[in-house]
Amino acid sequence: MPNEVKQYRYIENQLRKNFESWNYSEVRSPTIEFVETLSTGVGAELVDTMFKFQDFDGKLLALRAEMTAPVARIVTTRMPSAPEPIRLFYVNNVFRYSQSYLKREREFCQAGVELVCCNTPEADGEILALLISSLKQVGLKEVRIDLGYASLLKDLLNAAGLDKQQKASVMGLLACRDSVGLKKFMEKSSISSKLRDAFLQLSRCRRLDEVSSISLNGSKYDELNKQLKSLSELQETLVDYGIDDLVFFDFSLTKKIEYYTGIVFEASVPNLGLPLGGGGRYDNFIEKFGKLKLPATGFALEIGKLLQALTAQGSEIPDDPKPRVIVASKFRDTAVKAVKILREAGVIASLEITKRSLEKTIEYGKLTETDYVVSVGSSLKSPVTVYAVKSSASRDVMLESFLKELGGQR
Amino acid sequence: MNKKIRIAIPNKGRLKKPAIEALGRAGIEVLEEDRAYVSKTSDPRFEAIFARANDIPVYVQYGAVDLGVTGHDLIQERDANVLELLDLEFGKCTLVVAVPEDSTIKSVSEVPALARVATGFPNITRKFFEKLGKQVEVLEVSGTAELAPKLGLAQIIVDLTSTGETLKKNKLRIIGTVMESTTRLACNKIAYRNFEKQINELLARMRGGLE
Repeated sequence: MPNEVKQYRYIENQLRKNFESWNYSEVRSPTIEFVETLSTGVGAELVDTMFKFQDFDGKLLALRAEMTAPVARIVTTRMPSAPEPIRLFYVNNVFRYSQSYLKREREFCQAGVELVCCNTPEADGEILALLISSLKQVGLKEVRIDLGYASLLKDLLNAAGLDKQQKASVMGLLACRDSVGLKKFMEKSSISSKLRDAFLQLSRCRRLDEVSSISLNGSKYDELNKQLKSLSELQETLVDYGIDDLVFFDFSLTKKIEYYTGIVFEASVPNLGLPLGGGGRYDNFIEKFGKLKLPATGFALEIGKLLQALTAQGSEIPDDPKPRVIVASKFRDTAVKAVKILREAGVIASLEITKRSLEKTIEYGKLTETDYVVSVGSSLKSPVTVYAVKSSASRDVMLESFLKELGGQR
Repeated sequence: MNKKIRIAIPNKGRLKKPAIEALGRAGIEVLEEDRAYVSKTSDPRFEAIFARANDIPVYVQYGAVDLGVTGHDLIQERDANVLELLDLEFGKCTLVVAVPEDSTIKSVSEVPALARVATGFPNITRKFFEKLGKQVEVLEVSGTAELAPKLGLAQIIVDLTSTGETLKKNKLRIIGTVMESTTRLACNKIAYRNFEKQINELLARMRGGLE
């Protein structure tokens, strides 16, 4: 439907504009690639959702199910000597197969960015700030980001020396936000009190500055402390961007995609019960495509979800401010000339190509959100008749002065 | 944000009454139980929505409601990505595999390949047999699965039982358990983030009511 496409386009254009103003460059990747390429490092769960088929020689192909792997391939094979850091974005459709009869959607339009070759807190800060500014640029209100750390939970569970079953129960309790159950579990378990406190404190933390107050003594916790410290460094960056009050900590947040190594996050608005998109840091992913070890971070947004969220918030996609005009005439040569002049002046103009009466043309104009129907005679040297479609008023005026009036309206 | 928190409650069936009572004990009394799909509650921050228990997992997942009272079995069947915040402990039931009393099948391991299984829980059933490495044909029926063997539709059924009475009456014998289920308070993931304080307060009161 033209109207829906317009809404999609509007959102895409706003995002493009914003990504470009942050100095990101657009890339495109093939819709179809080898399964091997698309599935490198993304995890079995995502590979299962790919639409797969065979090439003429029997090689397995698939429709892309996400964009980070294709971008990683582009970076390693096509841009090997690009100056670092590399800032890239894409607006693409991705395809996911679902066995569930509930999830009917198979094609999604994603807009996303990847910031490659940098693992500073400034890089993570930039990605989060860009995410928030992009959502605001689209027109969304009350945006929030919830953020976890991919390996923090895993490393803590390992440090606590829990067996597989115990790990699963802790993850389950965290995922269900069962703080009472978690406390009971911790009290019963043999975990050291230091780690126990860290678990409970982290599960209660909602703000990044609360996380920074937690640390564990002892050299065996160096790796954990490093992760906690990096979160507090990120917090300081977010303060500088003025977005620290929009980013929340969520210890239990994990992602289905396997390649994340640092922060992982989701963006949402209160009016929509599903995340708008998300992303994270993936420092060991790109090397799987080549010899280069390139740290990277990025996010992807789903355009359809953004549109749903905008609708739920009651915001309308702004109308195109350009006036719309239909030119009707018995004299085709003059009409063609008039349409050309109008278009060159930035007006959306079309020619009446049916042989219907002027009243019928005005009727058509009413139904197609046209502002004016202009009837021209044999020469543009004489005045044209302008019918204002909404008010049904008409008057004779020279085409140039009509154009001037339109210019004033814009 | 000035939005009411919406709780979905089963509009009929065995879960409806205990669900309303559990909320009542937590200080949220449903005021217009019989008249409306959307009802005010005694707590102005909450609003009750009556919906089919089957549909509540999907309502919650997609954020059409923020919270929902529904069975763990239904959440699993709809594969709903929701938070199960609290086990309300009522509506206890077991999803079992059953065969006619005179069947030669004694346990699920004896279920023959390509057996037909009638059930109202096709997703759970399919996964259950897949895990066992059994290829079966799952036939979805809504409601009375216990009729299927009598009519020759299927040799095996997967159905809910709480006392075993209905199965006995229909001359069916349990040969295995698929899952145990109770009623849960399910929550939309994003709603939890936005209403964490209010929801935790409600949880504390509901836990109090359970003890």
